[in-house]
Amino acid sequence: MALNRNHVAMFALVAVSCFVVGCSARADENERGADLYRLCAACHGESAAGYEAVGAPAIAGLPQWYLEAQLKQFRDGTRGTHFDDIMGMRMRPMARMLMRDGDVEAVSAHVAAMPVARPAPSLTGGDADNGKAIYTATCVACHGADGVGNQGMLGAAPLNHSSDWYLFRQVENFRAGVRGARAGDQGGALMRPMVLQLADEQAIKDVVAYIMTLAN
Amino acid sequence: MIDRYVETLSTYAKDIDNLILLIGVLVGFWFILCEVIFFYFIIHFRAKDGKRAEYISGEEKSHKRWISAPHLLVLVCDVFIVVGAVKVWYEVKQQLPEPYETVRIVGQQWAWSFVHPGADHELGTADDIKTVDELHVEVGKVYHFKLEARDVIHSFSVPVFRLKQDAIPGRVITGWFEPTGTGTYDIQCAEICGIGHGVMVARIVIESPERHAAWVAEQSPITLAAANRP
Repeated sequence: MALNRNHVAMFALVAVSCFVVGCSARADENERGADLYRLCAACHGESAAGYEAVGAPAIAGLPQWYLEAQLKQFRDGTRGTHFDDIMGMRMRPMARMLMRDGDVEAVSAHVAAMPVARPAPSLTGGDADNGKAIYTATCVACHGADGVGNQGMLGAAPLNHSSDWYLFRQVENFRAGVRGARAGDQGGALMRPMVLQLADEQAIKDVVAYIMTLAN
Repeated sequence: MIDRYVETLSTYAKDIDNLILLIGVLVGFWFILCEVIFFYFIIHFRAKDGKRAEYISGEEKSHKRWISAPHLLVLVCDVFIVVGAVKVWYEVKQQLPEPYETVRIVGQQWAWSFVHPGADHELGTADDIKTVDELHVEVGKVYHFKLEARDVIHSFSVPVFRLKQDAIPGRVITGWFEPTGTGTYDIQCAEICGIGHGVMVARIVIESPERHAAWVAEQSPITLAAANRP
């Protein structure tokens, strides 16, 4: 059947309609993400740059897969259900407020699209040169030489967008079993023996100091 | 009557319900009576053709009686309420029956966490069981709780127990309850404590002695450590 002008016009109309509907759905999702983020902004800040006083890390520009994974872990209790995880317990009910299908994805996409706002370092006493040696020996295989993380490596976290105080606290949490010790937390199970290789608090500070030198 | 809507599952829950009913009935009676009289006066003394609405200054004895007589009757009702309230306060708050166990309850933004004493029934020992979001207790046993707050003021509320106790940072507040039935019920925070207050919920699991003993054995850190040992 030869295409006449009417067929072409109809095809164009259908194509334009699909495009408009697709754009509208995407716009709705973006709007939903922005709307949901208003809840997060109370602690993480309008620009998602974090707020140390309430234990809320910088999250702007983190990869969507990582944000989704963490929100799901908070929701299902893999994170934020240890007696000593004070900040995690503060986060968990917030994640549980994302109740509708697609909420986690929408808010994660919104945060991932925000410009990275790396906060100024607040930890002191770290030796980045020594930290580089530790990072290369212990962390690089999963988190990568530039600290961007690796979804395929059991969701190894991106580190180069994080606040130094947050990294320090998480390493301590992994060492103490406050994080990563729940049954089924495969990434945590892999991470815990790694952080136990850091000899002491100074070693943690060193490696965090090095991570902070990794450019975004 | 109230238990038609929320179960009563502690030894003192019915006493508190009765007190609420007593207050509700007395206050409700006076409220309805006052409103009826109030609207009757508004309608009866309204402006009519050839007659202005009356203004009463309330200085005459016959007028004052409308205030003083109900006032005295309300004071009599107050006596009943105060006697009932003091009785419940004394029995629930001033007395601490000998405990079977003591549990530690910690409120924080925005979660409840608990320390159970474990098989030795003693807090502060190696077999203490720490949980978040779930408090496990045995039916028919008196529990003391040591209530703490990590950050701001919270209020530990178990509706089926009719228990509500503020948790104040820097203080350890002691209270008690004795569950009278099994099941899983809500724990809430009853004091506005920040953006997550509305979702600061947990569950209390009231178990039979056998089931509770099995849970304690299963969750004991000593058991868990042995299970994880290679």
